[in-house]
Amino acid sequence: MAEFDTKLPVSGEKNHVFEACHHVVKALRASDNNLDANLRKLLSDLESHLLTFGIADTKVEDAGFSEIKERFKEAVKIIRSWETNHSTILEAGLSEVNQFFQALYDVQSVLVGFKALPIKTNQKEKDVYNQATVALDIAMLRLEKELRDVLHQHKQHVQPEYLAVSSRRKDIVYDESFVSLDDEVVVEASSHEDDQQISDFSNSDLVDPSVIPHIKAIANVMFACEYDQAFCEAFISVQREALDEYMVTLEMERFSFVDVLKMEWEDLNGAMRKWTRVIKIITQVYLASEKQLCGQILGDFESISTACLIEISKDTVLSLLNFGEAVVLRSRKPEMLERFLSMYEVSAEILVDVDNLFPDETGSFLRIAFHDLSKKLADHTTATFLKFKDAIASDESARPFHGGGIHHLTRYVMNYLKLLPEYTDTLNSLLQNIHVDDSIPEKTGEDVLPSTFSPMARHLRSIVTTLESSLERKAQLYADEALKSIFLMNNFRYMVQKVKGSELRHLFGDEWIRKHIASYQRNVTNYERSSWSSILALLTEKNDSVRTLRERCKLFSLAFDDVYKNQTHWSVPDPELRDDLHISTSVKVVQSYRGFLGRNAVRIGEKHIRYTCEDIENMLLDLFECSPSPRSLLSSRRR
Amino acid sequence: MRPAQDNQGSFLGRISIRRNQFVDVNNEQEQEDLELFQKHIADRFTELLSPPQPPPSDETNTVASVAATEQIMSVTWLRKLMDVFLCCEAEFKAILLMGRDPTQISKPPFDRLVPEMLDRSIKALDICTAVVNGIDSVRHYQRLAEIAVTALEQRPLGDGNVRRAKRALANLVVALSLEDKENVSGGGGGGGGGNKTTERSWSFGLRSGGSSAASKGGATIGQLKSSSWAVGRNWSAAKQIHAMTANLTPPRGNEAAGLPQPMFIMSTVMVFVMWVLTAAVPCQERSGLANHLSVPPKHLNWAQSLIGIHEKIGDEWKKKEKKGSAGLMEEMTRMEKLGHSLMEFADGFHYPAEKDAAESAAAQVAEMAEICRRMEEELVPLQQQIREVFHRIVRSRAEILEVLEQAGKVSAPVV
Repeated sequence: MAEFDTKLPVSGEKNHVFEACHHVVKALRASDNNLDANLRKLLSDLESHLLTFGIADTKVEDAGFSEIKERFKEAVKIIRSWETNHSTILEAGLSEVNQFFQALYDVQSVLVGFKALPIKTNQKEKDVYNQATVALDIAMLRLEKELRDVLHQHKQHVQPEYLAVSSRRKDIVYDESFVSLDDEVVVEASSHEDDQQISDFSNSDLVDPSVIPHIKAIANVMFACEYDQAFCEAFISVQREALDEYMVTLEMERFSFVDVLKMEWEDLNGAMRKWTRVIKIITQVYLASEKQLCGQILGDFESISTACLIEISKDTVLSLLNFGEAVVLRSRKPEMLERFLSMYEVSAEILVDVDNLFPDETGSFLRIAFHDLSKKLADHTTATFLKFKDAIASDESARPFHGGGIHHLTRYVMNYLKLLPEYTDTLNSLLQNIHVDDSIPEKTGEDVLPSTFSPMARHLRSIVTTLESSLERKAQLYADEALKSIFLMNNFRYMVQKVKGSELRHLFGDEWIRKHIASYQRNVTNYERSSWSSILALLTEKNDSVRTLRERCKLFSLAFDDVYKNQTHWSVPDPELRDDLHISTSVKVVQSYRGFLGRNAVRIGEKHIRYTCEDIENMLLDLFECSPSPRSLLSSRRR
Repeated sequence: MRPAQDNQGSFLGRISIRRNQFVDVNNEQEQEDLELFQKHIADRFTELLSPPQPPPSDETNTVASVAATEQIMSVTWLRKLMDVFLCCEAEFKAILLMGRDPTQISKPPFDRLVPEMLDRSIKALDICTAVVNGIDSVRHYQRLAEIAVTALEQRPLGDGNVRRAKRALANLVVALSLEDKENVSGGGGGGGGGNKTTERSWSFGLRSGGSSAASKGGATIGQLKSSSWAVGRNWSAAKQIHAMTANLTPPRGNEAAGLPQPMFIMSTVMVFVMWVLTAAVPCQERSGLANHLSVPPKHLNWAQSLIGIHEKIGDEWKKKEKKGSAGLMEEMTRMEKLGHSLMEFADGFHYPAEKDAAESAAAQVAEMAEICRRMEEELVPLQQQIREVFHRIVRSRAEILEVLEQAGKVSAPVV
């Protein structure tokens, strides 16, 4: 492909050196008006040397002035022919491209030659000079258009497969309360799967690599002719537009602060999710490719290449940063924790990429803004996490939870915690220096995994401790001791099951699990004692009269009826636990009853016995079968 | 600027000492604090209205240029305005929060006033974003002007140079006189694709004169357009300003003597500063901006100078609004004038340049170059200051919310 520099004819080389010297002198003069006298003298000496040299040079060529004029005329004709041509020069083929650049070179030679000896020229030469300035401007304008057209036509899109992934994902819908995080919803909530794919792409080409040399040639020519500003403006505007367009395909909308603060949680959740993806794609893929493109085209002018990248990306990048800033202004609602975690995680991850994108002073404001945002997200995430515990602690109920089943707070907290192991590293770094009282302060023989003693593990256990206290308080609301035990048993069992069945087990550790199993088993015992002891005591006879025996039998039946009436409404949702409870109750009650009847049935008389052993056995199976409370009831009992 | 900052330092010091000594905020001392606050506000805005005369100097040139740079709506002046805002804000926050019992600002009427104030500050954040973006547009004008300067500084000046300058000037003049609706992509462009932007650019080019040079330049203007909806779809600076003033009324009766007073003052200052910024640089959708600022009643001492500045700018805005303008920034206004007159020069230019015309053009080019230089020096720092204002507002909001949270009355931020 044509490069301006390589096209210099031999005779032009001298001219080139000459031009360079001339520029140096000019630049030195322009750079400092207060040159000291010696330097000024030196410069004017040099200038006069250059002038004589220039004159000598033109004198040599003077003979060929008409020849130069002919070449110039031809060059202008070529340039003019492209002025109104709407197809790109590139399309016309290599020879056309070379011809155009050669024409441009001829025009520029005239300008340089003339500028070297502005005083000693005649009118004809002046006219040529003037025509040359016009021809140059036409050529430059044409190249600017060429640049825009080539960039447009050979634009390449960044991996559309990214986009497909985003729509496949399903968002979890949180309510802004503790109620709605059901088990089923959580199943879908594994959030990291798609991030992996981004790292698989390194840079991709934003512009077809085959046209890069052509663009680079345009850049070199325009810079040499001091049309660098025009080049940069055009380049920046096309690339910026392409980035805007890409943002539209990513469906990343811009929101004002007012918008973000007013947004419904569901929408915000979606926008935050999108942001997490988009900022990664933009910094790690798109802008990395943009930087590469700038480098390929403007690599010879490094500071300009950097400045262009900043100008192209600044607007988009700042709008992404603003979204982060706005989100941080939202209140620290526990249900936002996971989104904040992933936003923070990404913001920390991309810092390396941002530092690479904008390494120098001019880009420092962007670099700093990213670092600031990441810090803010860290603080906000930590605060949200800590506030989670406060929210649990302050969750108060006025009435006992119906049926002694699994409280929605327990569900919410445990299912929430289940989401967190994905962010283990992030949480560990965020919580590193935040002290917390832990139920397992020291390493014991049972737990050997370091993860069990990580900052995150300590905090999670502490959260669950807070949950336990809250449950204890809720349990105090039950008038019935037995139901209180059922309630605690159910909830502790649920906690243990959630921990055992997930990644949480490595964090909570075996000791915690063992302690908590013991805890709910204690509640099973408590239940049996408080529910059945007094009733079973009726069945222990001490040389009773028939009347007393009949009385006992009747009292037992009444008491049993009472239990049956109550406890069939109670709930033990865990089938295994319910079976265990049925069996152990059955063993105790049926055995005692069978023994009692075996010893006393004849004396009491059949008509005085309301329940057979089989009746009791069957009825016991009806206990704790209450189906989960209907939602309407549930919601009326929030807090 | 310096004196104001000094005042603030000593002021804060005094407050903290006093507040530490008396756990209960003594009413009399609070009164004194409030009066001092009002006085500082008055002083700072008086200085902005009529900058202190520079000390007499032998070099008359310097005096002239100092006077010009300090002029209302110049970049330098806008930067001073930002400093003033930061000072006022720091002082206000000290009054509002330092040593105060948190429950006090969560009780009526503060349960209404504080959320309203926080609501205003969120709107101010959006305005800051829009203005930072608007300054980017100004930097684009600067680059167009620089191209014209580069071209017109060529010697000998040929038709080609003038042609190049004319193109840049045409774009500059069009950009400087475009109204927001045109300067900023409309609602459609908000989420629109690149095609739209391109169409828009071309239609702009046609507006600017129809010559091939001008229509080419349309694309450069198009560039600012695509970025001008920085704040989000359908966002309007004028509406935001209007909304900020909606519930902003001077406290009456008992309230006038207490904390509601500085809250009103600070809110007024904030809205005013935001209003000035939006008027100064291109900003998303500003129709009727001049009417959207309700000024405080004239009898308030602290407000005199602020009202004075408001009137000056308001008049300018009304004048400009009729013929369309990208902003009232003093440098932009001069740039526009110079642009027009250099366009005239360019239109009448024949090679070789006529001596007199060339000389007067050269003087204008030098002035244009000087404006560009000042913009180059000051626009980025101005952007940084606005970002600082932004971060300050965010921080203060967080501090206020924290206090409210302590008071236990507000667990979630309003808005």
